[in-house]
Amino acid sequence: MAGAGVDRDHGGMRSPLPADFADARQNQLLAALPSGQLERWWPAFEPVDLHAGEVLCEAGGIWTSVIFPRTAIVSLTYLARDGATTEFGVVGNEGVVGIAAFMSGQAAPSRAVVQRAGQGLRLNAQVLRDTLQHAGPVLALLLRYTQSLIAQMVQTAACNRHHSIDQQFCRRLLMGLDRSPTCEIHMTHEAMANLLGVRREGVTAAAQRLQGAGAIRYHRGHIEVLDRRHLEQRSCECYAVARKEYERLMPLPLAA
Amino acid sequence: MSDRRLAQTRSAFLPHAVTDAASNPLTNHLLAALPKPEWERWQSQLKVVDLPLGKVLYEPGVTLAHVYFPTTAIVSLLYVMENGASAEIAVVGNEGIVGISLFMGGESTPSRAVVQSAGQGFQMTAEAMKDEFNRSGPVLHLLLRYTQALITQMAQTAVCNRHHTLDQQLCRWLLLSLDRLSGSELLMTQELIANMLGVRREGVTESALKLQNAGLIRYSRCHIKVLDRAGLERRSCECYAVVKKEYDRLLPVQTAT
Repeated sequence: MAGAGVDRDHGGMRSPLPADFADARQNQLLAALPSGQLERWWPAFEPVDLHAGEVLCEAGGIWTSVIFPRTAIVSLTYLARDGATTEFGVVGNEGVVGIAAFMSGQAAPSRAVVQRAGQGLRLNAQVLRDTLQHAGPVLALLLRYTQSLIAQMVQTAACNRHHSIDQQFCRRLLMGLDRSPTCEIHMTHEAMANLLGVRREGVTAAAQRLQGAGAIRYHRGHIEVLDRRHLEQRSCECYAVARKEYERLMPLPLAA
Repeated sequence: MSDRRLAQTRSAFLPHAVTDAASNPLTNHLLAALPKPEWERWQSQLKVVDLPLGKVLYEPGVTLAHVYFPTTAIVSLLYVMENGASAEIAVVGNEGIVGISLFMGGESTPSRAVVQSAGQGFQMTAEAMKDEFNRSGPVLHLLLRYTQALITQMAQTAVCNRHHTLDQQLCRWLLLSLDRLSGSELLMTQELIANMLGVRREGVTESALKLQNAGLIRYSRCHIKVLDRAGLERRSCECYAVVKKEYDRLLPVQTAT
């Protein structure tokens, strides 16, 4: 499916865009931009199809563009020397992937991997940086988003120290739900185990407990959430704290 | 001696310096990195303050009134759970600033900042900080680079808490603290370290004993003396090196002028 703004019949040249940029506004940051900014950036946007497992930027790689997910979800992970990975951040349509591009670092030791396939909009990093040269409303928006991402990471650090797999599993499911238009999460036990940085057996056991309680229905890589409230009750406080911070900082609420 | 400590020595003992390291703004690397016009403008906005052990610089959810640039103190950014259990998320010393939420726009955060190692630092009002951030390109870029380094530290803490042993975490923590002090000694109770790492004191006692038996530290009462820094680095997990490398890359230590 062609993304908004790409007209294949014209050999890649962009056709005039829908006046309301509906597709772009599926990303909450883009929807919150000051009036006129989206139009100014539009020629530099490229719709992208992101595939599960695709590495958007390796650790230490330079971010030459940032990505505003629309339906995809991206994991910020650390890949250890022994091959173990741990996710420390999640970015969906509420955010932007590649904050190093505007935090002046341009590269980071983390690795961004597409966790759930979907679409997004890619924006050239230099175009972004040019807009952010001076403090202004666009920079302010992106910095508040970055602070909400920091809040997410703080919780993950604390959570990894103190909380159980059951709690972390619930937390991660809820974070996925918040970034999804449906009640389904496409994730195998293996994938969830990699994100949480635990053994697959632990995830399987936790999933079975939740299924037994009627909170989820799990079938071959699809988790359907049946009882969101149950997940919220079983999660640790970390889910609510990070979400509350996000809602405090950002103008539009997360899905659901 | 690390480059950072060497620079501290140089900046603290310049021939024309009349103040000691604690009350010399050059001891803080961010302040030392300010371009001349900013440096001059900031002199009247910076006030040297005592940062005693345990002082809370900001509480969760409370709008910050000041930012701090530590010189000899070290500050912990701590998240405290509803049940009182705590976990240190990051450490800030003379390489940084406490209170990024002021320029990140949040004005407050769910964690708290607590002085973990007594000393001094420079205080600036929230208003002055926001003003400077908004008016100066170099200040903006410097502070964003610092924030990115801090983000890396937090991310690494999240990872470390998941994957590594208490022994490794204690080494990492000792090294990060040492990098922010001059000399090779720390004054710290085991109770305090346990709170930072979010573990039981007994665990810290056991790990500290192992490090002592290996000849890496000497630990008596609250006094930790590092005997073999290279040994500590070898024993630490990779997390220490990742964080240090990022800080060195993003915030190269300026030669004091």
